[in-house]
Amino acid sequence: MKLEFKGRRVLIAGGSCEMSLRLAGLLVGEGLYPILTWRSEQGRGKIVDRLKEFEGSFNTAYLDLSSAESVERLFSQMEEGPDYLVDFAQGDFESLVGSADTELAGRYFTENVSTRADLIKRAARAMLKKRHGRMVFISSAAAGRSNPGQGFYAAAKLASEALYRSVGVEMAGRGITSVTLRPGYVDSGRGARYIEAHQGAVAGTPIGRPIDPGEVARAVLFFLSDCAAAFNAVEICMDGGLTAVK
Amino acid sequence: MDIFGEIRESLTEILDIDAEQVTLETYVIRELDAESIDLLELSVALNSRFKVEINDDEIYLKSLRTCLNGAGANGDAGNRILRQFPFINGERAGEILSDLEGGPVLKVKDLMSYVSWRAGKNGC
Repeated sequence: MKLEFKGRRVLIAGGSCEMSLRLAGLLVGEGLYPILTWRSEQGRGKIVDRLKEFEGSFNTAYLDLSSAESVERLFSQMEEGPDYLVDFAQGDFESLVGSADTELAGRYFTENVSTRADLIKRAARAMLKKRHGRMVFISSAAAGRSNPGQGFYAAAKLASEALYRSVGVEMAGRGITSVTLRPGYVDSGRGARYIEAHQGAVAGTPIGRPIDPGEVARAVLFFLSDCAAAFNAVEICMDGGLTAVK
Repeated sequence: MDIFGEIRESLTEILDIDAEQVTLETYVIRELDAESIDLLELSVALNSRFKVEINDDEIYLKSLRTCLNGAGANGDAGNRILRQFPFINGERAGEILSDLEGGPVLKVKDLMSYVSWRAGKNGC
């Protein structure tokens, strides 16, 4: 099946993670133009190095959810707003709810919910000018079933899911839709670290293996395509059956 | 095109209405039936046309009722409007106060005042 895309410019928040990098390669192959965000020079270097074969077919931009100004600057520097937003960005904060530092927890929600809301708002307004747009939020199976220590992560993901779902509800009539993907145990980044530390976790899922970051990238590509537009304002699990079993 | 002409064009495009329906005294919500999503689209259009940042809460007087909560007599209510919405002048504040019972007070001329005020702040 040949995928078709109404737009071209894809803003990828959290652009230096493995899933983003795989997605960027797929997007370029489809003739789209990814703009991958980074929050450290190390992240920017990783993007440029991994995508060097696609030089000229993608761009990078600074975005740090801990800095509200960086969101404003990101959009003010863009000559043309994005047609798509893929949001992989997520800060780390692992703590039992009963032992979390109140100030750190507040800051975590400011960065991962409030500042993300501003990112969504600005992207939505840019898309409204074109009367089309598509947002894909990468949540986590942990949003539905969190392990001990993941309470704040899950809460931030659930709140963010609600924001994306609302965009799909409020703006679909203007051509802007959204979908949330909830991957399970992905074999990259913090997922890989978790899998290594909890060997039995993956074996206990019906699929019996971790999810490859390339699988997530291909799923996101499909959800960005025109033929997936009816998946709107919804959360879809991609967890190998993890949340379906006891 | 002048500011009014640009605003009228945006309104007619977004609300699919005739230009004759839009005058300075037209109520945007009460008469033109503009909904929240229409106002959001109007903000984006005005931002694009005039290159000014649009604060939806300000331009659509969204916090008007809240700002008037608990206001007493002696011009207090009018002063609150002037403080909350610096683009509204004293005469218009008086009009608004005498018009609250009829529903949303926002008029096309308020949009014009806001855009002119923002453009002035930007040094345009």
